[in-house]
Amino acid sequence: MDDLLNEFLTETFESIEEVDVQLVELEQDPNNKSVLDNIFRLVHTIKGTCGFLGLPRLEKVAHAAENVLGKFRDGELDVTSDSVTVILESLDRIKSILADLEETEEEPKGDDRPLIQKLDDIILNDGKVVAAEPEMVIPDIIVPEKEEDLRPGEVSMDELEAAFQNAPGPDDDSSSDATAPAVAAVAAVSEGSLFDRCGGEDSISVASHLISNRLENSKGLGQFFEKDLKDRCNGMLTAVLQGNDDSAATIAKGCIAGAGFGQDQFGELVDELKNVLQEVGASKEVVDEVAPELDVIGDAMIAKSEELGASSKGGDTKKKDKAAGGGRTQSIRVNVDLLEDLMNMVSELVLTRNQLMQMLRQADDSEFAVPLQRLSQCTTELQEGVMKTRMQPIGNAWAKLPRIVRDLSVDLGKQIDLVMNGAETELDRQVLELIKDPLTHMVRNSADHGVEMPAERLAVGKPEKGTITLNAFHEGGHIIIQIVDDGKGLPVAKLRKKALEKELYPASEIEAMSDAQIQKLIFHPGFSTAEKVTNVSGRGVGMDVVRTNIEQIGGTIDLKSEESKGTSLSIKIPLTLAIVSGMIVEATGQRFAIPQISVLELVRASSRTEYAIEKIKDTPVLRLRNALLPLVFLNEALGYATEEAHSDEALKSDQFIVVTQVGAFTFGIVVDQVFDTEEIVVKPVAPLLKDMSIYSGNTILGDGTVIMILDPNGISELANANVSNAEAGKGTDEQASTVSETETILVFHAGNTNQKAVPLSLVARLEDIEVERIEQTDVHSVVQYRGALMPLVVMNDECHIKESGRQPVIVFTDGERTMGLAVDEIDDIIEDRLEVELTSGTAGVVGSGVIAKKATEMIDVAHYMDVAFADRLADKAAQKTEIVSNVSVLLIDDSSFFRNMLKPLLSSSGYGVTTASNASDALKLREDGATFDLIISDIEMPGMSGFELAESIKGDDRWKSTPLVALTNLTSEKDFDRGRKAGFNDYVPKFDRDALLHTLTQQLKNKEDAA
Amino acid sequence: MSDGYTDGVADVDGSSREFVTINLAGQLLGIPVLDVHDVLNAQKMTKIPLAPPSVAGVLNLRGRIVTAIDLRVHLGFAPRGEDDTFMSVVVEHKGEPYSLLIDSVGEVVSLPDDDYEKSPVTLDDRLRAVCGGVYRLEKELLVVLEVDTLLDFDISDAA
Repeated sequence: MDDLLNEFLTETFESIEEVDVQLVELEQDPNNKSVLDNIFRLVHTIKGTCGFLGLPRLEKVAHAAENVLGKFRDGELDVTSDSVTVILESLDRIKSILADLEETEEEPKGDDRPLIQKLDDIILNDGKVVAAEPEMVIPDIIVPEKEEDLRPGEVSMDELEAAFQNAPGPDDDSSSDATAPAVAAVAAVSEGSLFDRCGGEDSISVASHLISNRLENSKGLGQFFEKDLKDRCNGMLTAVLQGNDDSAATIAKGCIAGAGFGQDQFGELVDELKNVLQEVGASKEVVDEVAPELDVIGDAMIAKSEELGASSKGGDTKKKDKAAGGGRTQSIRVNVDLLEDLMNMVSELVLTRNQLMQMLRQADDSEFAVPLQRLSQCTTELQEGVMKTRMQPIGNAWAKLPRIVRDLSVDLGKQIDLVMNGAETELDRQVLELIKDPLTHMVRNSADHGVEMPAERLAVGKPEKGTITLNAFHEGGHIIIQIVDDGKGLPVAKLRKKALEKELYPASEIEAMSDAQIQKLIFHPGFSTAEKVTNVSGRGVGMDVVRTNIEQIGGTIDLKSEESKGTSLSIKIPLTLAIVSGMIVEATGQRFAIPQISVLELVRASSRTEYAIEKIKDTPVLRLRNALLPLVFLNEALGYATEEAHSDEALKSDQFIVVTQVGAFTFGIVVDQVFDTEEIVVKPVAPLLKDMSIYSGNTILGDGTVIMILDPNGISELANANVSNAEAGKGTDEQASTVSETETILVFHAGNTNQKAVPLSLVARLEDIEVERIEQTDVHSVVQYRGALMPLVVMNDECHIKESGRQPVIVFTDGERTMGLAVDEIDDIIEDRLEVELTSGTAGVVGSGVIAKKATEMIDVAHYMDVAFADRLADKAAQKTEIVSNVSVLLIDDSSFFRNMLKPLLSSSGYGVTTASNASDALKLREDGATFDLIISDIEMPGMSGFELAESIKGDDRWKSTPLVALTNLTSEKDFDRGRKAGFNDYVPKFDRDALLHTLTQQLKNKEDAA
Repeated sequence: MSDGYTDGVADVDGSSREFVTINLAGQLLGIPVLDVHDVLNAQKMTKIPLAPPSVAGVLNLRGRIVTAIDLRVHLGFAPRGEDDTFMSVVVEHKGEPYSLLIDSVGEVVSLPDDDYEKSPVTLDDRLRAVCGGVYRLEKELLVVLEVDTLLDFDISDAA
């Protein structure tokens, strides 16, 4: 293909994509001048280049689109959704023409008139400005010989006339934007102008026709002019006669096709024009008046002709100008295969370098030492450079999505916001290409199936506007991409029914499947949940293809969906060729790499050091400072039984422990030997091995050996299946639900048969008290407990303290006060997700949820405290002032459950607690002049989020220096970062009671140190 | 090339195929010559703990990581002794290089289609699944290995 054309295609495709994105931006923010300017510039460039390359179809479409954009820019038209849709449509047309062009190297045939008409209608219908471009741009609509025949829908002569007076010239290559206002200005004073005296629109049209025919057939002049000049002549004459010199000159330039057009030739042209004008009925006087005006076009034509002469000799001036004026970063396009080859060559070079270095080490005092050092360094830099050429931000793959979502929301009548986080996350361009389509498909799906219609959303109490969030971030050698929507989720019952209908699996198997398993059936070939097949999402060839595509590049896809809350898809893709720092360790006599990113520290444990491996029953653990670390023996994890490693002797000898963190879970990996860290190039494992969760890839070390890269996630799964499940949940579930983390819960019965529960973290002790020891005061039952009187409270009127035997009691403490809750039976302590689904009107019950598969009432400890200490409320004020003078804490959380849960916890540790249920309440306290020593805030709150609150707090002097601790379920590294940026001093997982107290102490200490 | 070696049956019609012969536990196997990318002597290999038994390890072949499949294990032959020498044939499947560990590599032969037969139905299942047919040579039988079937683990896993 022609190099020039090729370059044009690549460049234009890029520009168009950019325009796509920017138009959507513009629609949302119609007043953004810079975006508008940018779009205009891009479309203008496209049009200009098309004209230059002789692509009339493209040029016309681009021109019509540019006209509309020009009106936007000049503020003459408002940016509306409809008009943007039409412009987007014209961009699509340009794209399809370009695609054909790429294939055939020829502009395809086709009719753009309806589209151009649409674009022009935008201008027409607005009423402010009427333009007649369609008739001029589109050949054949005006047939001069039959101009009297008005077609249906065509504008009348009067209108056309008015339009001509206001319109910029057609085919105005470079300055239509500049001339538009100028034309308007000139038009105002051209009443009774030459234009009218020459006979107006009709005559000029005929004259144009005649002159263009004659020029084409003229022996002397024909060679200098473009073919098919009718439209241009029409525009040119109109402009000249209206005194619009700039436009006339520009069009005149466009007419000239060859060099050598000089003063003499122009004389001929003028004579010809005069003849023609007289033929169409202009008087001799008028024609003489016209003649001097024609000088303008004469000068332009001569200049252009000279330019053409120069450029045919001196090269491509136009192109040069463009390159200089673009102001972009300099770049060249390189074939990917070439890069690939380069990469392979560099790998070879590295290996050779390593061999040489090895030889050098063995030879003492070699004269090669210095040059080899230099070679080594160059090689490293070369390697890094080549690798960088392949990395691209994922934002490139997302560029199309705003447009797609926007189009969909218009098509479907939904309101959808697309939020994109982490667009700068880099990954290998090959991978990027491969995930583009699956991503697009998934986003389409979310928009089409996920997000509900506005009315539906309002009915279920969601904001009218749905949100689709894209997140991308790195996690241990992988890139994670999440597509989260807050739509209706996947309907389990419906899916189940469909699965049964389609007989995907035996009925009994389907019945036995969990909800999550059922939802994952959408990845099964031939499964589509849409009742109505829309043009948006296909016919059941969707998600299974997506999955196949992602698995082809060694990735995995996971799905989490909650009905009526939303769906979260999470793709995990290996960072092919990504360079990571890896710690090289040895186990089973072989070396392995652990990604440095997940390594916290290295500990050497032996009887001689301060750290030692201890055993609980047969399970070895490491006591590391204040924590116990679960241990995984790598030998064992890799399938080599090492019973003897657990023997006391072995544990006493030197042990290397790599302390590793996965999410919020920290554990130790016991290895035989630790070498050093090396920069390694992660290569994906062969498809055959990709199911092995323990490896995240493999790599070639400096000495040429292949080693496997361990995946800490996979190892942690071995360490603790429960923990890893919780982790996996956390990874994808962040947005989908607010509270869903496992928590240790005490389950008991009291009064009626309903199961009741309380988080174990609130419980001080469990006691079995002999009934005889229970005494009665006039208010309630009390028991002597640890040298003080402890009030005993019953759950409600249905409950009674036992009359004989032993009474089970749950003991709670709050500050210095202790109370006992008498219950019928303490059932169990379980790990489960703590989700309060229904709030309760009953005093003493926070709400109910499902725990251990049973509906369970979550009790409100604070309420019973109040019951137990009727005087407590009165007492509280005094107590508070006393503690406030000590340490005061402001706790902001939207869930009353958490407020009630944390308040006693904090109080019991000596903090004076004030609570606020949302950010604005908290800020109100600031306005009231309250001060605190510490602020703890939830992140996800309705209205103002924790991040925004933090920014507000740090942006104001009053609370600026107060340490700010975030309390949240979002515990990924990315969230930490975001929190830190917003102004949080620290970040604590919501259920980690000890971490919270520890952090508070730490923050107070920091504050004191700073003071 | 054809000057010295004219096969009366395999005439210019192209009704013959060329194979690299390999020896695996005494059995003669053939791999279409165009499928073979490399023939290697024993290489330093990295074992992969927990991998399927037929995966002998991974090795570095000029900067590419190649997965080594022990054909003896994969096709159900008796395992190789500790000290036995072996060679490998590098083939590619879906863009991924694999090194097939075999006992030794023989030569390149051109075999006439006339000597070709479908694999006998009584053949060992594992071998039959990857066998593209049998050629009757003068002294022995050559079993054609279908590389794509051999390395299509998705299918063999599912079966």
